[in-house]
Amino acid sequence: MDHHLASDSPQVRPRWRKVAYGGMQPGFDDNHTDESFLEGMVMNANVVRRDMLKVMLDSVSISEYLCIVALVVLVWTYTLESTIDENRLLCIDVSLLVLGFLILLFTQEKISLSILVHHYFLNISFFIMGLYVLAPIYQTLTRSISSDSIWALTVSLLVIHLFLHDYSESTVNAPGALKNPALTSCISVNASVVASVFIASRLPSRLHVFAIMLFSLQVFLFGPLVTYCIKKYSFRLHLCFSISLMVVTLSFVYMLHCLLFVLLLSLLVFVNVVCPYWLIRIQEYKFEINGPWDEAKLCFAITD
Amino acid sequence: MDRKKHRIMMVSDFFYPNFGGVENHIYYLSQCLLKLGHKVVVVTHAYGNRSGVRYMTGGLKVYYVPWRPFVMQNSFPTLFPSLPIIRTILIRERITIVHGHQAFSTLCHEALMHSRTMGYRVVFTDHSLYGFSDAGSIHMNKVLQFTLADVSQAICVSHTSKENTVLRSGLPPEKVFVIPNAVDTAMFKPAVVQPSHSEIVIVVISRLVYRKGADLLVEVIPDVCRLHPNVRFIVGGDGPKRVRLEEMREKHSLQDRVEMLGAVPHAQVRSVLISGHIFLNSSLTEAFCIAILEAASCGLLTVSTRVGGVPEVLPDDMIILAEPDPGDMVLAIERAISMLPKVDPQVMHNRMRELYNWHDVAKRTEIVYDRALKCPNQNLLERLSRYLYCGVWAGKLFFLVMIVDFLFWRLLELWQPAEDIEEIPDLTLPHISNKETLQETE
Repeated sequence: MDHHLASDSPQVRPRWRKVAYGGMQPGFDDNHTDESFLEGMVMNANVVRRDMLKVMLDSVSISEYLCIVALVVLVWTYTLESTIDENRLLCIDVSLLVLGFLILLFTQEKISLSILVHHYFLNISFFIMGLYVLAPIYQTLTRSISSDSIWALTVSLLVIHLFLHDYSESTVNAPGALKNPALTSCISVNASVVASVFIASRLPSRLHVFAIMLFSLQVFLFGPLVTYCIKKYSFRLHLCFSISLMVVTLSFVYMLHCLLFVLLLSLLVFVNVVCPYWLIRIQEYKFEINGPWDEAKLCFAITD
Repeated sequence: MDRKKHRIMMVSDFFYPNFGGVENHIYYLSQCLLKLGHKVVVVTHAYGNRSGVRYMTGGLKVYYVPWRPFVMQNSFPTLFPSLPIIRTILIRERITIVHGHQAFSTLCHEALMHSRTMGYRVVFTDHSLYGFSDAGSIHMNKVLQFTLADVSQAICVSHTSKENTVLRSGLPPEKVFVIPNAVDTAMFKPAVVQPSHSEIVIVVISRLVYRKGADLLVEVIPDVCRLHPNVRFIVGGDGPKRVRLEEMREKHSLQDRVEMLGAVPHAQVRSVLISGHIFLNSSLTEAFCIAILEAASCGLLTVSTRVGGVPEVLPDDMIILAEPDPGDMVLAIERAISMLPKVDPQVMHNRMRELYNWHDVAKRTEIVYDRALKCPNQNLLERLSRYLYCGVWAGKLFFLVMIVDFLFWRLLELWQPAEDIEEIPDLTLPHISNKETLQETE
């Protein structure tokens, strides 16, 4: 049998064993709690210890993106007020495109000029042509909707876009990477595109529409790629670029409206200073429990 | 020593006509408690047309309360409207102890909450393991904390399950008893004529879902078939992963070596088991695996993954454990094949009869009931303060819920006094002498 026989020493009861068979263990109640209770438990095995300075430096990329979106909204506002006319807008578009290409060329050492031409340039030309052809559709899209609804929708879509944007840059890939983007990053890209379409539909002429759509889509679709390349190339360059971008954005917003400037400044301070401090404060409460009761993780990938 | 006879109400969403671990546990435990002289009533939700009061073998009374199952066999969580019907059943049957089963069952949580409001003693049995980090588990653990804040005693089916329950609910470990499941060895007897060892048959019977390790099977079966030409597989059960298994069969041309039976009704499980030599269990998490007990009772040698409570279930010479990794499982199967000539199914079956017995489970549960009745019945204010410990916001919410429940109960006492509810006499069956078999007749 599986129990120790009590015939060897009647006073000493057999040791308690962590088994379920054999009925009640002699000498022990069913609610007996052994010293080995919870000895398989592991606490906080995968927790990362964070350093305040590193978290603040990492949060710079979030505020960089916030400033980029603020600049886009600024350009939209100026265009809607007719402060910028369509020719200047087209110049901005072209210069942004050229700047983006130069940065890509500069920061990606493996990319030669021929790959750049074939892969990026061709695709972008098709993209621009398609946008130009479809511009009349955007112009008349929201003619029956009132302006107030458009502004409200655009603001909510931009908030959704900022909320769900993938700041870890796992979706941005150089040609050849194989990564499936998460659902939330797809939703955020769609929200930004729809917001651009709404704004573009409020503009008077076809060229206006084309220019503003090109500008918005350039920034929203290719902006993350460019900032990712800068960050990968050199962290100091990334830091300088972000800080100069923040300064430029703040000064332009100040020229536009004082209250918005205060809002943007407080938002940037919140993201860069308050949130890292808060995160490190609440990390102390983290309590991760692992043990033999966990569901086993498969060590191979399931390929369907 | 004449023990006091209890009047027990078992409550859970999971009962016959569904088949499963929890359902079988409730049924067999109830039958053995009836044999010991206690009175048992089962409360569950209606299954299709099956609604109202039914009687099962041995005079087991089942209340199929007319609620529809909502999601995954659970009834819709209504919180307070279930108080009248539970109160009526408790008074009619003069219940002394309420025993709830399975943390996933909403009916169980509601019935335990109402029973505690009315001052009855409450026992809870947990049958599964849960994690701590995903959203579903976090909410489930909060609900469990609420229910177990004021429970008299708790039962778990294995020592690993006890550790898990204590961590999830914050109960003191002395309140948790470990009483495992058992198996009906009279129903699971080995074959009269053993299948020959010229061809070794490995049996797999489980739901083909991710949790039960169907993906591990997809990796393991081709390797084993390649290494051992005389091995055949029988796979019973159905589920979303069945397609992957069929594809694996086609890809490696194993149609004559792997037989897929589809869903196997519970009555035919034994006939599938006795056609094999080895039972393979590849689940990724198990609090206690009754399938392994059934296989061992039929005389099969078991190969299983070392997860959850499985290492505690069988002695080392009846089970071979492997890590949930295909290479390790193939090695374990090889060891099992080499151990096979030394295994005698009848000897294994006789050992299982000594190791696991539902009557033993019932006796140990009786001890828990006695202990529960000895718990002091504190007054309302002292009991309510226990709920405040459940959390900063949740504690206050639970506190409020219990107060509203108490007020609703008081209202019902005024509106429908307990004296107006007639207490029904007990059904006395002619005494069935010395019958050990527990067959389900309907």
